[in-house]
Amino acid sequence: MSQEDTIQHAIQSVVDLYRNRFELLQAAQAPKIGWVSIETPEEIFLAAGVIPFRLTGEAGTSASEAGALLSNNYCSYVLGCFSEGLSGQYDFVDGVVFADACDMRKRLWEAWGRDVASSETYFLELPSDASDLSKEYFTLQLRKLIKAFEARYDREISDAALCESIALCNESRDLMQRLYQYKKGKRQVLSGEQSIQVVKAATTGLKELFNERMSALLDALQTAEEPKGHKRHRVMICGSYFDHPGILKTIEGAGADLVCEDISNGVKYFEGKIDPGTDPVAAIADFYLEKNTSARRLDTDVRVQHILDLVEEYRVDSIIYYSLKFCDTNLHDYPYVKERLRAEKIPVLFIEGERNATNIAGTKTRIETFLESRLF
Amino acid sequence: MRHEKSQQDRGAQYQNLLSLLGNSRSDAGDDGPSLKAGRMRSIINSHRLAEAYKEKSKVAYVSEQFPSEIVLSFGAIPWNVESMANMLAQSVDVDVNRIFQLTQERELSRDICSFLRGPFGMMLADCYPRPDLVLTNNQPCEGLLKLGVMAGKNHAVPVLALHTPHTVDEDSLVYLAKQMKYIISQMEERLGVDFDPDALRTAIEHSNQARDYYCKTLQLLETQRLPGVSRELHEIFGMNYFGAKENARLCKMLYEEALELVEDEPQKKKRVLWIGQVPEESHELLQHMRQVVEVVYWAPLWEGNRMMLDENRPFESMAERAILYHWSAERMSADILWVCENYEIDGFLVAYEWGCRNMMGVSPALRDLAKNREIAYLAVDIDMVDRSNNYTFNHIKNRVDAFLEILQ
Repeated sequence: MSQEDTIQHAIQSVVDLYRNRFELLQAAQAPKIGWVSIETPEEIFLAAGVIPFRLTGEAGTSASEAGALLSNNYCSYVLGCFSEGLSGQYDFVDGVVFADACDMRKRLWEAWGRDVASSETYFLELPSDASDLSKEYFTLQLRKLIKAFEARYDREISDAALCESIALCNESRDLMQRLYQYKKGKRQVLSGEQSIQVVKAATTGLKELFNERMSALLDALQTAEEPKGHKRHRVMICGSYFDHPGILKTIEGAGADLVCEDISNGVKYFEGKIDPGTDPVAAIADFYLEKNTSARRLDTDVRVQHILDLVEEYRVDSIIYYSLKFCDTNLHDYPYVKERLRAEKIPVLFIEGERNATNIAGTKTRIETFLESRLF
Repeated sequence: MRHEKSQQDRGAQYQNLLSLLGNSRSDAGDDGPSLKAGRMRSIINSHRLAEAYKEKSKVAYVSEQFPSEIVLSFGAIPWNVESMANMLAQSVDVDVNRIFQLTQERELSRDICSFLRGPFGMMLADCYPRPDLVLTNNQPCEGLLKLGVMAGKNHAVPVLALHTPHTVDEDSLVYLAKQMKYIISQMEERLGVDFDPDALRTAIEHSNQARDYYCKTLQLLETQRLPGVSRELHEIFGMNYFGAKENARLCKMLYEEALELVEDEPQKKKRVLWIGQVPEESHELLQHMRQVVEVVYWAPLWEGNRMMLDENRPFESMAERAILYHWSAERMSADILWVCENYEIDGFLVAYEWGCRNMMGVSPALRDLAKNREIAYLAVDIDMVDRSNNYTFNHIKNRVDAFLEILQ
């Protein structure tokens, strides 16, 4: 097997965790609980012996029903998740935790409780800043979630168990961060689509397996050679939930590299590490509030600063700001974010679209025009 | 239309406002009954507006349902940025279009609720008085929170925000109460005024006096057909001026006027509960409906609007009110069920303001409620401010006519 084949094989092995997630999750003995926002602390699920996995909203077959029971003017990620629930995709799970990550997810929580009878729902209050007051309150909310899990599974969630799960999640974060070091350099070992799929694999909740396969991937990469040739244009994508392969291919097809995804299916998921300290619950609460740099963060300047840091870290040349249609927080943020980025002379292209849009010819043209003027 | 661009001069900002409101739709025909309370409200608002443009005034932009008692206890003027959207709706179309054009020039998506885009456009037109600070909250929606943040950026003033949890429990009440106290400490610094607990106590007393009359008026509406009263209650809620002495007088006047309208044998019309954002009283859809049914607005009946504040626990009490103002399918269903039982409701008209995700997301629960109670139900998509966007009267009229026929 060639070196390149070895690397691709290792990547596929990781990505398979995402592709085969339903089979793998159903085969696992442990109880499973889903989540929809990356501000949901998986550490608590794991300490309860529960597999935490993200709802991706890709496998539903009840899109029309979801629109009728919620609204068609909703973000397509939320509708996709609801469609999965309605079509029985998650009949094997014990429940879903809905963090208050946006108004539409809050309404999804209510609709899920009303129309998806097979699983329990948990609502997690989530402050939008990282003040001491908010951290204190979020800690209380996490303790409530812990109590709910303890009651549900008749087991104590000890600090030791939390520390263990923190270590496990930190290991995943560390491995992802190491992988993304390559994206900071010249060598783009993963395509944009693969990068997102690797992050999605990390969110399937099969942490040990993920860590094992990621370690193998990193081992394989160690032997890879530096590419030759001139520097390619480096693009970062930021905004809403995003995983549109057609757009990713358009960016790369135009001759640019997608070097960073500042989205929940990208670096936002695995940034930072938790120091459990003496109170692991408080440490988890602090971590999740501090690391929130999404559009939901109260102070948009925190988000903008994070984008600027990533631009420097990943040596980004231009940004594509992608907002799902009806994603209000990202839509609200855009005029200000654009203004700040342009002040820093960072080119930015705004795209508002549907997650599964098939007719993207217009979007392709815009991306190509935006990039071509910078490539040549 | 030309706007004098000034971030500093409130006089110029006032002139900008006047140029926007040059032509009002006052000749739109049937504006509904004219109440003395309505005229008093206009005077109060005019005075408040004029005061806000004075250079020495302390102005706080507030989002809908921010605890106005706190603002008033500092002697500051609460400037409700969203209610300006209603003023926009009463202006001529060309000016409204100009306002929305400004938001689009800044690439603010047209899919965002026009009740939020309108105020944003007004800020871009520089016709709101320069604020000393912005006070915002995430209830009833996150869009308001974002609007507040952007207002702060626009004017380079501090933004103080309340995060209102969804759940009513002791943890949430304490958390919110602590946030309010923190905001007060920041307001002291920004406004250069020491917080006076007595001033807050007085504001709470005024708030409760007003609320007492407000609730008594609501009670009269249960059995009486009081033309214009439900609307006036809605307007008073929209002003969010609870805590001001004038507001207590206004509510008293409305109650007394409502008493005068009480009849021994009130004429009965079918009652439709209007749920969701409300257009101005002269709106063609309301005029059309009023010919056949009595329109009762749900918002003034909202649980948060029926709540008196506990003068001994003012912060926890304001906290509870804030949570009750959050969208919640469960609470809203229970609330509307209570309304149905007490107000003899025959039909629900749910207005989906374009972009209001909460109304859209909560309404399926209301549809279930209507079905269980055998109440006629109609949901309409309507943009009450940006009328060129997703609104055609003839299309809606057909559906409303069918709905009204069912009711007869």
